[in-house]
Amino acid sequence: MIYDVPKVSPGGDRYLLVEFGNEMNLDLNFKAQGLANALTGEYRINGVIETAPCFATTLVHYDPDLVSYSDLKVELLRLFESLGSSDDIEVDSRLFYFPTLYLDPWTTDCINDYRDKINPGKEQDPEFVARINGLSDVRQLVRVHSGTEYWAASLGFWPGLAFMMPLDPRCRLTAPKYNPPRTWTPQGAVSMGGMSTAIYPVPSPGGYQLFGRTPVPIWDPQKKFPEFEGDLCIFRPGDRIKYVPCSKEEYLEVERQVTEGSFKFNIVDYQRFSVGNYKRWVASLDLTSRF
Amino acid sequence: MISVIEAGLETSIQDWPGRVGFYNKGFPPSGPLDSWSFRLANILVGNEEGFAALECQFMGPTLKFDRDIVVAITGADMQAKINGQACPLWESFTVYAGQSIEMSYAISGARSYIAFCGGIAAEPTLGSRSTFAAAGVGGLTGNALKIGDVLPVEPGHGEAGRRIPLAARPHIEQQLTWEVEAVAGPNDDWIDQQGHDRFLSSDWRVSAKSNRMGMRLEGPDWTFTNKAYDKLPENGSEPANIIDHGYPIGAVNLAGQTPIILLNDGPSMGGFINPYTVPQCALWKLGQARPGETFRFKSISVEEAQLRARQINTLCKDCQVNIVT
Repeated sequence: MIYDVPKVSPGGDRYLLVEFGNEMNLDLNFKAQGLANALTGEYRINGVIETAPCFATTLVHYDPDLVSYSDLKVELLRLFESLGSSDDIEVDSRLFYFPTLYLDPWTTDCINDYRDKINPGKEQDPEFVARINGLSDVRQLVRVHSGTEYWAASLGFWPGLAFMMPLDPRCRLTAPKYNPPRTWTPQGAVSMGGMSTAIYPVPSPGGYQLFGRTPVPIWDPQKKFPEFEGDLCIFRPGDRIKYVPCSKEEYLEVERQVTEGSFKFNIVDYQRFSVGNYKRWVASLDLTSRF
Repeated sequence: MISVIEAGLETSIQDWPGRVGFYNKGFPPSGPLDSWSFRLANILVGNEEGFAALECQFMGPTLKFDRDIVVAITGADMQAKINGQACPLWESFTVYAGQSIEMSYAISGARSYIAFCGGIAAEPTLGSRSTFAAAGVGGLTGNALKIGDVLPVEPGHGEAGRRIPLAARPHIEQQLTWEVEAVAGPNDDWIDQQGHDRFLSSDWRVSAKSNRMGMRLEGPDWTFTNKAYDKLPENGSEPANIIDHGYPIGAVNLAGQTPIILLNDGPSMGGFINPYTVPQCALWKLGQARPGETFRFKSISVEEAQLRARQINTLCKDCQVNIVT
């Protein structure tokens, strides 16, 4: 459900958590990002150090020497009310195109290694995700997964790791996480867990179902690419990402450019995302159709 | 310059309050686990309290100096010696060119801090010199110190013989049971009354599987309210699962049935509930507790926790103004 009034709870002496509801619903994330943006923008409340919006919550880090918990709670709720309905939220939103090799050999190797060493009964991830979502085969999984823009709902758990939600409701998929988790995953793996999609920023253990790989880096500790604007990670909350299926030859060519440092990101950065317009578009769709 | 002869156990460069302002991109703050001892070390050598210094864990390093530098060691006692002579703790002293500080294992507490007059001059990443080794960020190379590393130190003005009065220091002794303050929330309503009573009345053993990301505790099982069961599937299948949300530093994060207190290098978000949060005034205890020791939690209010943090700040500020020479 979506709460009429957000629930505010303390997290020790310098954090508070604002909960907007208890379901996975993009509208809750729009509220979470709307409040976070307002707090870092013109409505800045004295004593607020930083915020971390997530799917249905915004964590607020504050300085108790500048504002008390009870005053901050009142001010936050007042600010949230003044923002109006989420339909009025409009935010700058960059669109990234990510060439992606679906059903690639590297994540296939990773899945097979897991089957060899940890869980022989594990169905291949693409087949499994297609089956439990009622899709006809893995080719339809690729069409559905690449058929929408994704919304960077939240970043976290690891620096730069973005949790992305499909903006087109016809492309919603769900997938449980691995149990037990994998010991390794290739960098750039395109994956799903729960209702969100993620790209693995670096090689790491993990639990998301794998079905593709992108050669485009989202983590740049050597500061090779100007598009990171001095940061180490490319995404921020409210970015949009489009996965563009590519061939293995294209993948290898982009990978070569990335290694050499000549790669240019494909970013569209003049657009604003209007929640009201988005909701009107969603309302016009025939949700029973898939791609 | 200071050369690393022995690295110790994951000795790292940290500053305070660390890499703050990037939590919405998934960067934890890092910084010293016992920031009280850390700040006092800097104050002793005439630095600002947040300057970059070393955090040593369980086993300290051996460091060789190529010029005279005023140094202070605070926190855990790792038996620091120069030419076989014990170095003072909680007191600034001069190390002369050519001398080495040799440290050993901690005989009380878990973490020592070594501050150098002027501070360590590592290149800041996102505004901080703190090492976040999991992502290879900060410090000299993104990692803990290695043999052969050379620490550049800024020039500064410090005096030997300055001492922190006993009343202004954290009390780090080898103790079997620590009383640790905890504030209920943000997800305290997921735990039933027996669960709360059990949390506050049980001994929680510090597991050896603890590090700068989190401190794992062993103790009785948790019991939940209806909220943990009567929820939509996107919350996850276990009672302690919730839709991914931001984690406060100090959160008592319930990973299934195992509480893990999230520390300075911990994950910024995830899908487990946090029934309690350890406030700033008690975080130093987490930095100094050793595996096998036990915690007893004491529930305090947000306001009480804020008051206690302010008291520690005042003690540090007073030391900065009128330190005993």
